[in-house]
Amino acid sequence: MMPILEVTGLRKSYGSTEVLRGVDLHINAGELVCVIGPSGSGKSTMLRCCNLLETPTQGKIVANGHEVTSPSVNINRVRQDIGMVFQQFNLYPHLTALNNVALALKKVQGKSTSEADELAMAALDQVGLAAKAKSFPAQLSGGQQQRVGIARAIALKPHVLLFDEPTSALDPELVEDVLNVMRDLRQRGMTMLVVTHEMAFAHAAADRVVFMDGGVVVEEGSAADVFERPREARTKSFLARYANGRAS
Amino acid sequence: MIADSGLLFTFFNVAVAKQYLPAILEGTLVTVGVGIAVVITGTLLGLVLAIARSFGLRAVALPIVAFADIMRSLPPLVVIIVLYFGLPSLGVPLSAFAVTWLSLSLVLAAYAEESVWAGILAVPAGQMEAARSTGLTWWQSMQSVLLPQAIRRAVPPLTNRVISITKNTALGSVVALNEVLNTAQGATSHAGNPTPLMMAAIAYLIVFLPLVIASRSIEKRWRRA
Repeated sequence: MMPILEVTGLRKSYGSTEVLRGVDLHINAGELVCVIGPSGSGKSTMLRCCNLLETPTQGKIVANGHEVTSPSVNINRVRQDIGMVFQQFNLYPHLTALNNVALALKKVQGKSTSEADELAMAALDQVGLAAKAKSFPAQLSGGQQQRVGIARAIALKPHVLLFDEPTSALDPELVEDVLNVMRDLRQRGMTMLVVTHEMAFAHAAADRVVFMDGGVVVEEGSAADVFERPREARTKSFLARYANGRAS
Repeated sequence: MIADSGLLFTFFNVAVAKQYLPAILEGTLVTVGVGIAVVITGTLLGLVLAIARSFGLRAVALPIVAFADIMRSLPPLVVIIVLYFGLPSLGVPLSAFAVTWLSLSLVLAAYAEESVWAGILAVPAGQMEAARSTGLTWWQSMQSVLLPQAIRRAVPPLTNRVISITKNTALGSVVALNEVLNTAQGATSHAGNPTPLMMAAIAYLIVFLPLVIASRSIEKRWRRA
């Protein structure tokens, strides 16, 4: 199977601090891969390197056949293929939910307003928020805002979706709404790379789980393998701390 | 004649008022004209400078910061005098109108730049990241996502500044710009009666009081947004 996203030897330093120390990772079409690990393990930085929100110090990233890390890459073109969902939603507060989703369709893909609105509406409908199209972000709950954030990403029909702790900023009772949308996306065959602290979700929904610590991938495998039969001591102690209700 | 000798005769002399009304009206038009020109060029220049500063290039940002700091330190009167008497020696003699317009535009641009820049800084970094992550270019993100939010934040602090700098058109009288204050002063000494000055004061009220009141509602509305 051809990987949709392939990360090889990824390194990232801030000054003398090396946050990523050689990460290798691949995601095949239709896979849901969850990245878990303690805070500061570099998992968010790794994710943000995949669409060049962070510039890698070294290493190679190939998304859907395009080398993201090539100096000659048209990053604005490649980013349309790599959707991103943020921890803090990052919705545009001055635009309605519909226009949050439609903006890039119009500006980047050059669609007419009516066509963009139609596609944006379909994306909002997919996350169950067609009725909120005219609402501004401040009028929506956190869970609804994050679902608009997902709609904004999927409207561009990306080949892979990156999720950066999509439920960490949510009240506990709103987490499930967002996770349900992600489960639904998986059913529809969307390829997803999810950095998360939702262990139950990762365990139940992920095709593969990647455990990162100290800027490297420590262990990866099926959800059942990593959660039920972890091989590495660091994985075991991390999961044990989680089982005891302590997040990192 | 006894009735005429009091306050009314001195400050609100009907005969003097009638004589100088056309001149005062003309002066008011000049004041409004310079004022509008200053607001347009000053805020636009300030906006352009703030955008240029956000490129993140030191070579661009430093001169802009220097310009804004210097212009905000100098009294507008000094800027007007320096340009009026300095530019001819550089071979660019400008009219009193042009010098007043240019000087006050530069001063307003400095304040507008600072306000818009502060507005841009106040927009969370995630906004630019979200916009760029969907494939928007830096400029598209600036245009559609950052500037609308930054300007909303910049307008309330800027409205008062716009009014106070527009009132500085009165300083044009120093370089013989025939705006309303200069006209009134000339008329006052000509008539030997301060009624024209009172007329100028009333003209300022008619022009600026609505703006001051409007700015209060603008501040209220835009702060909420």
